[in-house]
Amino acid sequence: MKVNRMKLLVGGVQLRDGVSTITDLLGRILSRAGLYVMGLERGFASTIYGAHQYDPLVITEEPAVSWGDEGLDILVGLEYDVDPDGPEQPNRDSVFRHGRNVVDGGVLIYDSSSGAIPVDALEARGIRVFSIPARQIATRDLKKEVVKNVVMTGALFRLLEFDRDEQWLRRLLEERFGRKGPELVNLNLEAARRGRAAVEAILAERGWSNVGYRLEPRPTPASAVYISGNEALVIGAIEAGVRFYAGYPITPASSILEFMEEHLPRYGGRALQGSNERESIRAALGASAAGALSMIGTSGPGLSLKVEEFGVSGVTETPLVIVDAMRAGPSTGMPTKSEQGDLFLVTGGGHGEIPRIVLAASSIEECYTLIHEAVRLAEIYQCPVFFLTDLNLGEGRMTVPEAVFRSGQGAVTRQLATEQQARESRYLRYKITDTGISPRLLPGTRGGISKINSTEHDEFGFVTTDPPKRVAMMDKRMRKMAKYLQNDAKPPQVFGQLGKGPLLVGWGSTRPVLLDAQKRLQTEGINAAVAHFTHLWPFPTALAKPILEAGKPVIVCEHNYIGQLAEIIQAHTLVAVRRVLKYNGRPFYPAEVVRAVHEVTHNGATAVRLGGKDPVMVEVSSDA
Amino acid sequence: MPEATKSVWEQNAAPRHRIQWCPGCGDFAVLNSLKAALTTLELTPTEVLLVGGIGCSGQIRNYLNGNSFYGTHGGALAYALGAKMVNPELTVFALAGDGDTLAIGIENFVHISRRDPDITLVIMDNGVYGLTKGQDSPSAGLGHPAKVSVEEHPPFLDPVKMALTCGATFIAQSFSGDPKHTTEMLVEAVRHKGFAMVNDFSPCVTYNKFNTYDWFRAHCEMVPGGHDPSSEDAAWELIRDFERREKLPVGIIFRKPREKAPAKRLPMWQAELERIDLEPMLKGLR
Ligand SMILES: Cc1ncc(C[n+]2csc(CCOP(=O)(O)OP(=O)(O)O)c2C)c(N)n1
Ligand code: SF4
Repeated sequence: MKVNRMKLLVGGVQLRDGVSTITDLLGRILSRAGLYVMGLERGFASTIYGAHQYDPLVITEEPAVSWGDEGLDILVGLEYDVDPDGPEQPNRDSVFRHGRNVVDGGVLIYDSSSGAIPVDALEARGIRVFSIPARQIATRDLKKEVVKNVVMTGALFRLLEFDRDEQWLRRLLEERFGRKGPELVNLNLEAARRGRAAVEAILAERGWSNVGYRLEPRPTPASAVYISGNEALVIGAIEAGVRFYAGYPITPASSILEFMEEHLPRYGGRALQGSNERESIRAALGASAAGALSMIGTSGPGLSLKVEEFGVSGVTETPLVIVDAMRAGPSTGMPTKSEQGDLFLVTGGGHGEIPRIVLAASSIEECYTLIHEAVRLAEIYQCPVFFLTDLNLGEGRMTVPEAVFRSGQGAVTRQLATEQQARESRYLRYKITDTGISPRLLPGTRGGISKINSTEHDEFGFVTTDPPKRVAMMDKRMRKMAKYLQNDAKPPQVFGQLGKGPLLVGWGSTRPVLLDAQKRLQTEGINAAVAHFTHLWPFPTALAKPILEAGKPVIVCEHNYIGQLAEIIQAHTLVAVRRVLKYNGRPFYPAEVVRAVHEVTHNGATAVRLGGKDPVMVEVSSDA
Repeated sequence: MPEATKSVWEQNAAPRHRIQWCPGCGDFAVLNSLKAALTTLELTPTEVLLVGGIGCSGQIRNYLNGNSFYGTHGGALAYALGAKMVNPELTVFALAGDGDTLAIGIENFVHISRRDPDITLVIMDNGVYGLTKGQDSPSAGLGHPAKVSVEEHPPFLDPVKMALTCGATFIAQSFSGDPKHTTEMLVEAVRHKGFAMVNDFSPCVTYNKFNTYDWFRAHCEMVPGGHDPSSEDAAWELIRDFERREKLPVGIIFRKPREKAPAKRLPMWQAELERIDLEPMLKGLR
C-alpha cells in the first residue's frame, strides 16, 4: 500500500472536460489536508477548444523533490465520445497518450459514458481499471452535466479511501457555492456520493479490497496555499511596493495581469492592460519616472516588441522590473510549452550598451522571494531588472506553506531624494558619482526639476555629444554594475559537496529535477553537486568561477538548443562545460538527466540533446 | 507676456543659443505660446511634466523649464499616460511632431485618445519629418504633396478626424503664425479634463517649401462663431465643410466636457508602502 505518495494525471478535452477543475479541487483539498501537491508540468494547447489537455499532480507527505519521471500511478481520463459510432474516438486520448506511462499495478479510471474501452493490455500489466459513467450519472440521474467532474472526484476519493465523511469536500463546496444556497452544495455532494458508489460497486464485483494507494490527511495540517508562480510573483511584487503594473495578454504571462488587476487597486495601485506591448512598457516607464515602483510582465514575442524600451530604461536610469515568463520560441513558437530560450535576449537585447540585471526564479516560492530582490535592485540601480520565470513555474501550481508569505519582507526601501536634499545644491538628475548612482528626485517634488533624457546627456539631462561628457556619463552608468557585482551579486546556490564528481549547473525551473537527479546519482555512488544560478547578469564571475572550477566535469542543463548559460559561463570563466539540452516542450525528467550524465561521464559526450526519440549525442564544439 | 514670469520657464532651460531650430521654424512660436499658456495657468515648473516626441518638435522640452521625459520615437503619449496615472497632480504634456504622432506613434495616438487620460497633446504639424531632413510624413500633402515621392503619394492623414473617431474629448487646431490664438488653445486644452489634442500648424521653413506661412495664412480659417463644439455631428459637419472648401479650421472643433472623478496619486513614499495585509490575496488560494 502506497500512502500519500503517488503521481496522478488527469487528462481530457480542453475547455470541455474541465481538467483543471479537478486538479484544482484536488490541489486545494489535499493542501488543506496537510499533503503536498506539485502540479508544475501542465499540458495544455494553444487552441482553445478540443485539444488534449493534461495535468500531472505529484502528491506527497513531505514536499516532493521534483515532479519525478513520466511514470504514473493513477491515470484519470475524462473524455467521452459524443458520437460513439463516429470514426473519431476522442475518449481514448488520455488512455492512448498516457496509458503506456501507467506503472504496472497502477490504476486507470475513465469516463465510460459512451462505452467501455478495451483495456486488456493494461489489465495484463496488473493495472486496475475503473470505468465510471460519470457524465451519464450527471446528466441522467442528477440532470446537471457540469457535476460530472465532481462524480469523478468522488470516485477518485473512494479509490484513495480519502474524505470518507465528506468533510473536506463539503467545506470547499460551502465556501465556493455557499452564498448561492444549500441546493448547489447538496447537488455536488450527491454527485460525489454517486461516484463513490460506482467505485464501491466495481470493488465489490471484482473482489478488490483496495487499489494499493491511499491518501490520509495529516493530523495537524499547517495552513498552506495551492498557488501558481505567477500568483506568488504578484503577491511578492505588491508586498515589495510595486504599485503600477502594465501588461498585454500573452501566454503564460496573462495571469500576472489578471491577478494584478484583481488585487492591485486594493493596495492603492493601478494595473493597465496596454493596447499593445509598446504602450505597456512605455506607460510603465512613465509611471516609474513619475515615482511609482513599476513592473511589466510578458513572454517572448511581447518581450521582442519591448526591446526598444530596454535602452530607455537603461539610459534614462528609470527603474523597471521586466518579468519574462518564458515560453518556447522563436516567433510564436509553442505558446503553451516551456523553454529557457530568452537568456541572450535579456542579457544583450537592444542597441547600444546599458546597465541591466537579470534574475531567474527556480521555484514558485522563489517567484515570491526573489521578485522582492528584483524590485529592490531596480530601485537602487535605476536600470531595467529582468526577472525570468517560465511557463511551468508561472502556470504550474503547488502547495506552499503560508508561513512562506508571512516572513514579512515588507516594502523595499525607496531611494528618493527629498526636497531638502535637492535644495541644498543644484539638483542634477544625472550627477556623476563614485557609485554611478545619481540622486533621483521625483517630478512634482519642489526643490528641483528632473530632465529625464534617453538621448546622451550631461549631468543636468541636456543633450550632448561632447566626447568627454559621453565617456563620463557612460562610465557613470556602467559603474553601477561594478557596484552591483560588489554588493548584490550572488553565487549560484550550491547543493551537495563540490569537487567529488560532476557538477550539474542549471537556472530557472530545472532546479528540482537536478536535485532529484543528484539524489539518484548518489544511490549509484556518484557524488554529483548542483550549482543553480538565480543571479545571471551581470555574470558573477568572481563568485562563480571557483565553484565551477571544482566540477568534474561541469554539466550545464538547460531548456534551449545552444546552451545559452553554458556559453556565458565559458566566455566569462573559461571553464569548459558539457551541455545537456532539451527543447521539445517537455520539462526534464530526473531519469533522463541521470542518463545524460552517464553519456557525458562514461562516453565523453560534450553535448547531449534530449527529447527526440532517445538521448542523442550531438557534437557542437570540441571544447573539452 | 511679462518678462518676470516668463523667466521662470527659462531658468533651467538650455541656454537660448543652444536652441537648435532653424531661424523661422514654427516651433519657436509654439514654445512661446506654451510659456505664455503655462504662465496664464499659473503653473510652476515643478508641477508640469513635458514628455517630448522625437523630432525637431520634441526638442521643445529642453527649451523651457519643467520636468521632462524624453524616450523613443512615437512613445510620448504612452509615457505621459503612465506618468499621469501615477501622479494626477502633474500637468502632463506630450509634445511631438506629426511624424511621431501619426506614423510611428499612431498606435499610441489611437488608443490613448480612446482612454481619455487628462493629458494635453500638442502636435507640431509641419507635413514633413524635419529632424531626418524632409521626408514625407503622414500629414504631407496638405492641399498638395509637399515633396514628390518616388512611391505613389498616399493621401494626407488628418489628425482631427483621427482624434474624433478615436474618442478624444478635446480637439483644437492652431497656427504658429497666430501665437496668441495658439496660447488660447493651449490654455483651453490644459483646462479640459480629459485627453486634449491641439494640432498646431508649425511650418518647417527648411524642408516644406509648399506649406509655408503664406500658404497656411491663405488656407487657415477660424472656426465660425456659431459652431457648437459639444456636438459631434456639428464637428463632423464643420470638418466636411472645411474640407470641401479646401480650408483648414483653426479653433476648438470638438469639446465634450466629461464628468471625471479626480484620480488619486498612487502610494509612492516609504511610509505609504509599509505594512500591507496579504490576506486578501492569499484567501482565494486556499
Ligand atoms: C525608431 C526610430 N525610427 C526612426 C527614427 C529617426 N527619426 C528621428 S526624428 C524622426 C521624424 C521626425 O518627424 P516629426 O515627428 O514630424 O517631427 P519634426 O522633426 O518634423 O518636428 C525620425 C523618423 C528614430 N529616432 N527612431
Ligand atoms: S528642419 Fe524644419 S522643423 Fe526642423 S527646425 Fe528646421 S524648420 Fe523647424
